[in-house]
Amino acid sequence: MPCTLGLTQRIDMQIKYILPLLAVAGFLFAAYTVINSNQPVPVAKAVTEPASAPFKAFIAGAGIIEAQSQNIAIGTPLPGIVKTVAVKVGDHIKSGAPLFYLDDRDTHATLAIKLADLAKAKADVSVAKATFSDAKSLSDLAEAVTDRRAISTEELLKRRNAMLITKARLESALALVQQAEAGVADTETTLSRLIVRAPVEGEVLQVNIRPGEFAQAGFLNTPLLVLGNLDQLHVRVDIDENDAWRFDKNSKAVAFLRGNRSFKVDLKLAYVEPYVVPKKSLTGDSNERVDTRVLQALYRFERKQLPIYVGQQMDIFIEAKDYAPNQNSENHPKAKGSSS
Amino acid sequence: MNHIALKMLMGDKGKYLGIVMGLTFASLIMTQQPAIFLGIMSRTYSFIADVGLPDIWVMDPKVQFVDDIKPLQDTELYRVRGISGVQWAMPMYKGLLKARLTDGRFQTCNVVGLDDATLIGGPPVMLEGKIDDLRRSDSVIVDIDGARDKLGKPSPTVGGKPTPLKIGDSLELNDRRAIVVGIAKVSRTFQSQPVVYTTYSRAKSYAPRERKLLSFVLVKAKKGQDLAELTRRIHETTGLAAYTQAEFKTLTFEYFIHNTGIPINFGTSVLLGFIVGAAIAGQTFYNFTLGNLLQFGVLKAMGTSNWTLLRMILLQAVLVGSIGYGLGVGLTAVFGFAMRHTILAFKFPWQLLLFSGAGVSLICVFAAIISILKVIRLEPAIVFKG
Repeated sequence: MPCTLGLTQRIDMQIKYILPLLAVAGFLFAAYTVINSNQPVPVAKAVTEPASAPFKAFIAGAGIIEAQSQNIAIGTPLPGIVKTVAVKVGDHIKSGAPLFYLDDRDTHATLAIKLADLAKAKADVSVAKATFSDAKSLSDLAEAVTDRRAISTEELLKRRNAMLITKARLESALALVQQAEAGVADTETTLSRLIVRAPVEGEVLQVNIRPGEFAQAGFLNTPLLVLGNLDQLHVRVDIDENDAWRFDKNSKAVAFLRGNRSFKVDLKLAYVEPYVVPKKSLTGDSNERVDTRVLQALYRFERKQLPIYVGQQMDIFIEAKDYAPNQNSENHPKAKGSSS
Repeated sequence: MNHIALKMLMGDKGKYLGIVMGLTFASLIMTQQPAIFLGIMSRTYSFIADVGLPDIWVMDPKVQFVDDIKPLQDTELYRVRGISGVQWAMPMYKGLLKARLTDGRFQTCNVVGLDDATLIGGPPVMLEGKIDDLRRSDSVIVDIDGARDKLGKPSPTVGGKPTPLKIGDSLELNDRRAIVVGIAKVSRTFQSQPVVYTTYSRAKSYAPRERKLLSFVLVKAKKGQDLAELTRRIHETTGLAAYTQAEFKTLTFEYFIHNTGIPINFGTSVLLGFIVGAAIAGQTFYNFTLGNLLQFGVLKAMGTSNWTLLRMILLQAVLVGSIGYGLGVGLTAVFGFAMRHTILAFKFPWQLLLFSGAGVSLICVFAAIISILKVIRLEPAIVFKG
């Protein structure tokens, strides 16, 4: 009996204490779960801090760097196989320096023919001269006879006409020489057109042609060669047409390098292109989409100020009037209302 | 007297356990079901919560929730950037794209395009690789759940688990090559699609050709700028919708509340749990009081005041209530802990502890009131009638 009583008592005790203990443990675990599972998600930091405008009110835009002279896509006047390329990317070249040579064997052959033609024409001139002097001397002899009976009129006319004919032949031969000379000059011009030269002084930005490749005349999507003057760089800023009314030529502008905002430069306005153009998204995509029209402003800065390359994108901020077009229109009636 | 109350309560172990069990299950259902409900609902906006850096999200005014993408023109980014009070504004692409896997299967992925230079909006936790690796060509970062499961390579054995996607593996997004350079941990989303992070310009090339591709503009306000004022200004100037992170979460949350059956489904099960719990606990407690009516009668005959009896019953109710509540929330927490690595949605905020506490209290109060009424009306003479 005491044994069973002890057992039931023990079970009693267990239930008495275990359940509340379990309940307390359960509540504590729930509280722990609440605290542990509701910690905020960590915030992913920006890889580089984005640039932000140093002005109170401003226009923001994307800009693309170009050479001061703009980027000149060099074309060739004549299509042909490239023989040699005289420049490397990065070469600084003077105006008129040869950039690349096209295959000119064909034209050289033509030139040889033209020169031979000239020699032939010149030889023909001496033949014509000799014939003329022969006819002239015969004619002169007949003309010198004072007694008209000693020579028939027919003979006299014949000699005189022969002299005139050979004179005309001589003139024709001289004209042929001129023609041949013009032919030579034409071929020489063609020869010089086979050498493509730099139109301005500048730097070679891109070379897309190699010896042996065919250079096409006309507009090309990939220019054969890109040339530009890099002493001063221009940045072409796209300003949304909706923001264009806020743009002021005299306001300050700052450009930030993408990827590191500590590189920044104050810009000076070079000029504004007054024609608003369809915006190309500056993604470098070959099929650029047109979504809106933009006003393009060109700013300039010294190349030494930034480690930057032509074609790179920048974030531009231009100080501008504060937006709030609605506020102004709202303020007016309010002001009137308060005064009355 | 309190001692006698406890003796009475625990004297009959069967009934005692019955009451506690009833309250435990009521509390369990009232905690666990709302926890799953909150878990599912928090997944609707988990993407917004993951992007912690920006203060304001700018989008088309007709956007109804986070996955309802109505793209903007690219220039809107610069218009937003030009509004005073804006520290910075960054583009973000978000869209569903088809990925072709190595075995030829197709899987719809949530592709997120981040600003090329700053990579703002990236995954909160990187498990392998770095976010900077997105600067490499064709690179993408995949979330761990997607890499393990939906985007995984087929198992070498038939019917086995897929081999997880590793750094260096390639995918095909819309016929374009994508190389995995990192594995990230992100919060699960409602549709549980794999998340693929890449840069904005690359996302544009992955996306099918459309005129507009900018999904969101992420805005950080200048220090000291009032966010409500700034969202209003952005809306007035650009005509776009601007929400703070909390507002956008609420927008998404409310869309799901109003347009899906989830709240009704869970609401009914919580209500049923409450009713069943109340019925069981109330009935057993009432039965227990009835069973002990004789003892109460004796106490009353001995001159114990109604007030003391009331305190005794309240003590009993509070005790079983707290034990049941503690066990119930404890079991919920154990359930959540056991399921933490599964796909199950489970969220246990402190408000839920209060909610189920209030529920259990309500049941106990209800059970105690009917018992108290019985005891107060009791005639002490009943003891001697038997």
